Amino acid sequence: MSVAMRLAAVALAAAFLAGCGYEDTPLPEEPEASAATSAPDCETPDESGTDPVASYDPGDGVPTGPKLDEIRSRGRLIVGVSADTYLMASENPELGNRIEGFDIEFAREIGSAIFGAGFNAGRNLELRVITASQRIPLLSAGELDLVIRNFTINSQRWGCIAFSAEYYHSGQKVLVGSSLADGDEENGEYRDPSDLAGLRVCAPTGSTSLVNIRDAEQDAKIEPAANHTGCLVKFQRGEVDAITGDDTVLAGLAAQDPYAVVPEQEPLSDEPYGIGVNQEDIDLVRFVNYVLEEMRDEKWEAAYERWLRPVLDPEGDDNVSQPTPTYGR
Amino acid sequence: VTQSAAAPPPATQPAPAQAAPPAKARRGFWPAPTGKPVGAGVENTPALLNRLQIIGVTTVLLFGLASALVQFLSYQSDGRAADDTEQLVRVQEIQSTLLRADAIATNLALLGGSGDPQQIADRDADYDTAIADVFTLIAQAAEAQPADEEALSALNVAVSEYATAIAEARSNLRQNFPVGKEYLSGGSSALRSDALPILENLVTANSERAEDSMNGQHPFWLLLLGALAFGVLIWVSLVLARRFRRYVNTGVAVAAVLVLVTTLVAAIAAWRGDSQNDGLLDNELRSAVDQAEARTAGNDAKAYESLRLVKRGSGTTYEPLWQESADVVVDNADPSILREWEAYVAKHKQIVRNDDQDFRQPALRVATADDGTGSNKPFSDFDTAAQDLVDENARTTTDQLRAGRAVALVGSILTLLIGLLAAVAVVRGIGARRREYS
Repeated sequence: MSVAMRLAAVALAAAFLAGCGYEDTPLPEEPEASAATSAPDCETPDESGTDPVASYDPGDGVPTGPKLDEIRSRGRLIVGVSADTYLMASENPELGNRIEGFDIEFAREIGSAIFGAGFNAGRNLELRVITASQRIPLLSAGELDLVIRNFTINSQRWGCIAFSAEYYHSGQKVLVGSSLADGDEENGEYRDPSDLAGLRVCAPTGSTSLVNIRDAEQDAKIEPAANHTGCLVKFQRGEVDAITGDDTVLAGLAAQDPYAVVPEQEPLSDEPYGIGVNQEDIDLVRFVNYVLEEMRDEKWEAAYERWLRPVLDPEGDDNVSQPTPTYGR
Repeated sequence: VTQSAAAPPPATQPAPAQAAPPAKARRGFWPAPTGKPVGAGVENTPALLNRLQIIGVTTVLLFGLASALVQFLSYQSDGRAADDTEQLVRVQEIQSTLLRADAIATNLALLGGSGDPQQIADRDADYDTAIADVFTLIAQAAEAQPADEEALSALNVAVSEYATAIAEARSNLRQNFPVGKEYLSGGSSALRSDALPILENLVTANSERAEDSMNGQHPFWLLLLGALAFGVLIWVSLVLARRFRRYVNTGVAVAAVLVLVTTLVAAIAAWRGDSQNDGLLDNELRSAVDQAEARTAGNDAKAYESLRLVKRGSGTTYEPLWQESADVVVDNADPSILREWEAYVAKHKQIVRNDDQDFRQPALRVATADDGTGSNKPFSDFDTAAQDLVDENARTTTDQLRAGRAVALVGSILTLLIGLLAAVAVVRGIGARRREYS
């Protein structure tokens, strides 16, 4: 019987063990961070040595030519734009999600010039929202007539598309928290990139802004994000101290956050903005340049005053004006 | 034990060496039923009876104990299967409710700050309820299954971060700041990269646990134990028959019959339980899991539909993701709820047609209208129908598992008692022979 009792004890222990002893549910493994790199968006750069900001002569402003005829017969000008770059081009939910901003003013002016007095933005202007990486492919494929979307003119891109004359001279700057631009020296003030030593700076992954800031101040701690708005999210969560990028983009970010400012500073780079056009559509490039000339002073000033000056030049002492065009292609 | 100790030693107990030769001489001889032990006074009959009693009693007690244990394990196993099924359904409900919250939050973002206040308030309340349900379910799941605690803690953190991102998104979107869309899409994206993998692990772990537990019926082992015990009792009967010239020892025979009947009844009950569990696994539980998966994928798709409109011009990014989730719905959804899903898909196609042509307002109208003209109502009908099916099938599964396990518990107790009864029968049967001998 003692054997039976021992067996019973073992059996009872087995029964007890059978009632418990699930393995813990495993936690997922952390995915490895992938280092995103930016490939050039045009692989056949213009090596003619022509000044990249030089465009085609505007001509006499008569809207004729194969592309202009095509647009008129279609009845719509198709423009690739952004919809989330605040102040440059973003949706306004209060106006039925209409896209508006500095860039959009140019799209409307060009459309109005092509279609004349009967121009109706709802009917004659199609704003197609695109990403930055879609700018050159969609222009090259002929799906868009124009791209007006923070588009920096350079020789690399001239190899694939054509540009209008420069319509805004942007530059890479730094946005910081208001405590670094409140005049209190004890608290630290931002004047140039050397002030970023030891601070966390955000720029989009793989962007030239990120490379530029690293070159300008090697002790700055670079914190990449997917895009500039992603940088603002990090900034508002206290994960970064500064954001760098084109001043136009920074203006849009600062306008969304009362504690973000773009202090007076020398830009780290020159970013001449142009309107992108298919390489074949020289008649359209000329006409766009004509419209830009027509906008000089009054309309350009009004657009700048409405969208960018309140954030980029609140004191109004920068004397910013429409860039002087260069022609010669 | 007491009987063997109390049995009086025979007056003229022969030495074992002397008993061997006559036994050999009678090999193959079947004794006449005289009631007297063959070779009495020559072999050590009381010792033999003691040994047979120990063997017989131990056998039936061990049979009773082991067979009862096997049935008790089945009882426990079915109980665990019911608990594991409930936990599986619970973690799947967390998964689908979390994506339901995301589908509502992304849809709410389309209304912005200037939409119909009543509609915004209703959707806000729906979102808050969904998130509150998720946190409640996480707490219940952590209490129900300690092995899930660590994963659920990590999930809790991920859901909190998601809820914070959505709160930030709502606050910014009300001010028409585009950064609100970044909070929203970032939150949705983090939900899928951080929270959903944890939930997938929880679903996998609990599916395996439920399936393992449902395979806890062992008719083969019951048969084997019964056959062994029965075989030993037959052997004891044969030895007794040879020694006492009686064909049947009533006590041992009763014990053998008890073992045989108990084994057959227990094995049949276990086999039926096993079949029932297989049926539940293949039908009700499978259906509950599939409909929960369809509901999760449906909400995933609905969130993508809203995200493509939140981020204007992102149709090429989000539509393939919508299609991927929609395929999961079609693969898993019960035909009875596919009609609701197809009604939703028709509205979705309307949204895509409008959005692809950048007809923004019509696309938004279809995506946000709560009446029959929009995609929200047919989707909500699908969501409710899917959840009803999950609830119904999960309830049937757990109810049947819990009802079936009572049979195993009663069987286990009865088997233990029958083992004791059989032991008494063996003792009495061998005691009768001992009395005859003395």
